[in-house]
Amino acid sequence: MATLKQKEQTFLKDLLDFQGSLNGNSKFLDKVRLKGADEVRNTPFPHKKDEDWRFISLRDLYSDSYQPASTLDVEDPDLRDYFLPECDNSRLVFINGSFSIKYSSVEALPDDVVIGSLAQFAADGNPLVEEHLNQYSVFEGDVFSSFNDAFLQDGAFIHVPEGKKVDTPVHLLFVQTEADKTYFTTSHSLIVAGEGSEITVVEDHVGLGDNKYFNLPVVEVSAGKEAYVKHTKVQRDSKEAIHIARTTAFVQKHANYESYTITLGAKLSRNEPRISQRDEEVQFTVDGLVLIDGDQVSDTHSVMDHRFPHCESHQLHKCVINDKAHSVFNGKIFVRQHAQKIDSFQENRNLLLSRKGLVNTKPQLEIFADDVVCTHGATVGQLDENEVFYLKSRGLSEKQARELLTYAFALETIENITVESVQKLLVDEVHKFTDRQLDSEFTV
Amino acid sequence: MLEIKDLHVCVEEDGSEILKGVNLTINKGEIHAIMGPNGSGKSTLSKVVAGHEAYEVTQGDILFEGESILELDPDERAHLGVFLAFQYPVEVPGVTNKTLLRQAYNTIAKAQGREELDPLEFEDYAHERMEVVEMKPEFLERSINAGFSGGEKKRNEIFQMAVLKPKLSFLDETDSGLDIDALKIVAGGINQIANEDNAVVMVTHYQRILDYVVPDYVHVMVNGKIAKSGGKDLALKLEEQGYDWLTEIASVSVNGEQK
Repeated sequence: MATLKQKEQTFLKDLLDFQGSLNGNSKFLDKVRLKGADEVRNTPFPHKKDEDWRFISLRDLYSDSYQPASTLDVEDPDLRDYFLPECDNSRLVFINGSFSIKYSSVEALPDDVVIGSLAQFAADGNPLVEEHLNQYSVFEGDVFSSFNDAFLQDGAFIHVPEGKKVDTPVHLLFVQTEADKTYFTTSHSLIVAGEGSEITVVEDHVGLGDNKYFNLPVVEVSAGKEAYVKHTKVQRDSKEAIHIARTTAFVQKHANYESYTITLGAKLSRNEPRISQRDEEVQFTVDGLVLIDGDQVSDTHSVMDHRFPHCESHQLHKCVINDKAHSVFNGKIFVRQHAQKIDSFQENRNLLLSRKGLVNTKPQLEIFADDVVCTHGATVGQLDENEVFYLKSRGLSEKQARELLTYAFALETIENITVESVQKLLVDEVHKFTDRQLDSEFTV
Repeated sequence: MLEIKDLHVCVEEDGSEILKGVNLTINKGEIHAIMGPNGSGKSTLSKVVAGHEAYEVTQGDILFEGESILELDPDERAHLGVFLAFQYPVEVPGVTNKTLLRQAYNTIAKAQGREELDPLEFEDYAHERMEVVEMKPEFLERSINAGFSGGEKKRNEIFQMAVLKPKLSFLDETDSGLDIDALKIVAGGINQIANEDNAVVMVTHYQRILDYVVPDYVHVMVNGKIAKSGGKDLALKLEEQGYDWLTEIASVSVNGEQK
């Protein structure tokens, strides 16, 4: 059985053993896996001494053996509670990384939108897979991306043709089940929006139990010329899970990429959105909301790479931290030498609800052009006592006042999400979160 | 309705004494004005009545309808019918006026054993109350005070008072920063709300608002005490002569020559 363990010898051997069993359905994917495995052999896994990982510990990841999720026996879970009503016939479901035909349906989408299982398209020899897979990634030398390649099993594939505006949002539901053993799951998804097209995608990671597993999703987005891609990611993995994600977006001329990343679950999560401007006059948004408690750790390392003139970019990253939770934000803004007339906004706001919560925040600007506007800021604070007093003087209890203010803090990110049921789901999640926090705080 | 007896109050943080023995009685159906120079303690008095935790009562008592409220939290005082219109109303982006007010109204209604309103009933009720301060219905959907002008914030305070119908309202410098049109609207609102069963206390620097809301009693606070009380003529005298003559009285009493 394959295990991911830092003891190199067993790890390499098991990796190779398992590798072979995945191969055979698509020569192209076989090559991707072999190359990935080769890279994993030659790249060390990161440690605290690495600059990019110095705020968090990966001990939880390295302390266990994991088996591939595809080797688990699972009964069909009941997933109806997780379906979005807007997406009843525009949904792809992956259970422990494997495509579920039973729960997926794409009938509501136009026929010329290519959507379904990446592995199936590859096995069928669809040339789009070869044309686009790994073309929009900027994670050279990253062992987790290579690991994802090495164990590439499946994921969502979406190709929207030129000029097609898709009104129906698409729900990508990645479900992890309960299991006796710790397992890892890798998915690799592609969203390719052709020239002048529009698509809204909700990437949704759900943990059904409270077991430990390692979720490593890779998502590549290509927003073609004049395309508009709205990408909401909701991470509600198990509170014991480890979630390390790689997301990249290439934004072409006059295109707009709008993303909202919501972090609720996982014991340790690391998001690394990397947005790459590929031509002049583009817009992109990389907003985030993190609600964590207990001993959860959430780490966001983002890159906004401005490579051409005329770009408007926006990043508002908000975190609510309670108990002993720990939030890390490292936001890199690059402005290349010829990328003039850039207007970039970045702000990281942290609301600490407890004394033992921890926040590390680090904006990082590298600007080589001279005609740009880049604003950045970071704040760490508690609820304002004057605001609490104001609400209490109106008759609200301490708990109601704090809940309302926390909700208001979180709302700013949520209210921009255009899929109504997702917005509602997140409002409920915020209420559950504040309820939980305030109960523990005031029943003492 | 409200009886303040020999009230001494310190700032919790540094222990400095701000109120040094305030005595004040307010009956229902009355309108009072508390005036005084900057730093005399009049804003502190309003906050202490509302229950602000930054202040510590070291001596004396505050009775509301015969019972001491010193041990009550601000929300419990609001449930009894105490209201404070803030000098600097707090902005809460992300929460609409409607959300806060319905929650506030229902929480108080529940505590007083009155019927709570569902969202539709509340909306009708709120629209009716908005007329008191000539506010447009869209206002209900806006975030609490976020992006409001100074005048809008003050009107919103009076609107909240109109919705919650408190028994006792302290209006802390509600008139400051208002132009004459806004002042007339705010004053008109206060006049509509004030009746035989409630009481209003206006804390103010200037005589101006008292032309529109005529007080039954005027008190002047100097150096943490009420230095003089009288009718509305007292406000006019202050307007003409300033506070200096009272400051002298106060400093004399500090030197031990109590009247």
